[in-house]
Amino acid sequence: MSENVLELKNITMKFGGVTALNEVNLVVKKGEILALIGPNGAGKTTVFNVITGVYKPTSGDVVFQGESIVGKKRFKITKLGIARTFQNIRLFGESSALENVVTGADVHSKTGVVGSIFGTPRSRREEKANLERALELLDFMGIKKRAGQLGKNLPYGDQRRLEIARALATNPKLLLLDEPAAGFNPAEKVALAETIKKIRDAGYTVLLIEHDMSLIMGVSDRVAVLDFGTKIADGSTTEVQNDPRVIEAYLGAPADAS
Amino acid sequence: MANLKSSLNLRDKGAEYWERSPKWRRVALAIFFIAICYALPFLNNPLVNTPGSDFQSVLFYPVGMYVLMAIGLNIVVGKSGLLDLGYVAFFAIGAYTMAILGTKTSLNFWEILPIGVGLAMLSGVLLGTPTLRLRGDYLAIVTLGFGEIVRIFAVNTDAIGGSRGIAGIPTPPDVFNAKFTILDPKPYYWMLLTFTLLIIWMVRRMAARRPGRAWDAIRQDDDVAQLMGINTRKYKVWAFVLGAAVAGVGGVVYASQILSIVPDQFNLNISILILACVVFGGIGNVWGVILGAVLLAFTPERIRFLSQPRILVFGIALVVMMNLRPDGILPKKKREHFDPDWHTVEESGEGEIK
Repeated sequence: MSENVLELKNITMKFGGVTALNEVNLVVKKGEILALIGPNGAGKTTVFNVITGVYKPTSGDVVFQGESIVGKKRFKITKLGIARTFQNIRLFGESSALENVVTGADVHSKTGVVGSIFGTPRSRREEKANLERALELLDFMGIKKRAGQLGKNLPYGDQRRLEIARALATNPKLLLLDEPAAGFNPAEKVALAETIKKIRDAGYTVLLIEHDMSLIMGVSDRVAVLDFGTKIADGSTTEVQNDPRVIEAYLGAPADAS
Repeated sequence: MANLKSSLNLRDKGAEYWERSPKWRRVALAIFFIAICYALPFLNNPLVNTPGSDFQSVLFYPVGMYVLMAIGLNIVVGKSGLLDLGYVAFFAIGAYTMAILGTKTSLNFWEILPIGVGLAMLSGVLLGTPTLRLRGDYLAIVTLGFGEIVRIFAVNTDAIGGSRGIAGIPTPPDVFNAKFTILDPKPYYWMLLTFTLLIIWMVRRMAARRPGRAWDAIRQDDDVAQLMGINTRKYKVWAFVLGAAVAGVGGVVYASQILSIVPDQFNLNISILILACVVFGGIGNVWGVILGAVLLAFTPERIRFLSQPRILVFGIALVVMMNLRPDGILPKKKREHFDPDWHTVEESGEGEIK
């Protein structure tokens, strides 16, 4: 297996006349936390949508563990090992927190409709295993006490944590987190950073979209910067921090340069 | 106020009582209610009998038949959120299978039943595979069309009797001492009840397990369901096929009881009425759906003595009810559990691990 979990090769994504991503190359290495940053509208979530099969790129290739996944169905991409959370929380609000996570854990079950009707030994075994895994993950995210509550009734922070638990339940090789700290207070951000590191240490590879610089500098192994659909920087946190193009993208060009 | 309201919530009280009950009490209660259902034809109470029509016949059709079909449609509409307005088509396919094979071959009812169910399921696959790409209103229109196509096809095909339909459909052979004759609707009712109980049992098992969770996810957010690794096409087609199978059972049993069928029995009204049973009772909750179907099938028969105005009275009652309880009589509303050690996925007892 290659060292690179995911490679984006010259990805271009056009919506009509708008170019959301322009020749983006990106490599995610096994076991790292890569942060994807950039101003609003830079195309960060579009990258996630291209990776997870929501959009088919106009050109370019997405290679996951040595295999091209462009054009694959979304559920197949998830089965291969890519799971994500959403910028605007999208839980199954009418299902309990536990059911949300078990739904994710079901991905690798072999039991279908018929097996479930007849309650075959395999179906019972898988049901039990998925339930236990879901409880473990709720515990891992610190929201086990919410198991029986409906997704929509969870406090905001717990909804974000539940989304991560649901994504982890699919046992991904690559976890995509889309602004997991949005709306968190500083203390919660610190706790989240610890959780993300724990996830990485548990053997997952993480690609993270985030705006909060202190969080990014705290957790990421590497940072990639997008601006207007183009990757303008890629490297360690200190390299990126001192890159004049990044500073320009975030703070604007110095007045004398124009 | 909140306390008063929760103390009046009989549905939650009932579910809590059930959850707290030990297994022997659950079994006893279930046997008790099932026994009552089987004994219903012997009930002769002036409050519930049906002046103007035979009570035992009413129990079979429309009451029993509507309950069965509403449970089937609930898999499609209630569990997976697919609006199907052509559900009667699968009922018609079951009934026509019984009628054609029963009159033209020597196969008996029990041999035709699986064929009828199989054909209904096959038509579910054929309809579902191309159309389930559509969502919401668009799917509703296509299924509406399918329901009409099946009826109009039957009207215009002389080989299956055209608009005159098919007469002389054989009754099922005797089972033990129960004789299936046109004169006695009781055995048919018992047979239908048995099938219904079997289907409820199957549906509840599915609902508490992986398919139920997949349907819940699809109904709530199709896109996210796909991104969580659910093959949404497959589960939607399954919902369609299972719904079709239940209607197919209904169709075969129905045809064997009424002895002759004509295409116009399988009109749009049936689809709409079954859908009304589901919505009226409480979309997604099998007990609500059953209650809705019983009320919607029984009430027009109970007030048959009003003759012409009875449908008007029925309509007004519907409008009033839906205003009082817009989510149905027994809505599907998951109860929340605040116990930190709560471990059950569904309250059916199938998902418990501790």
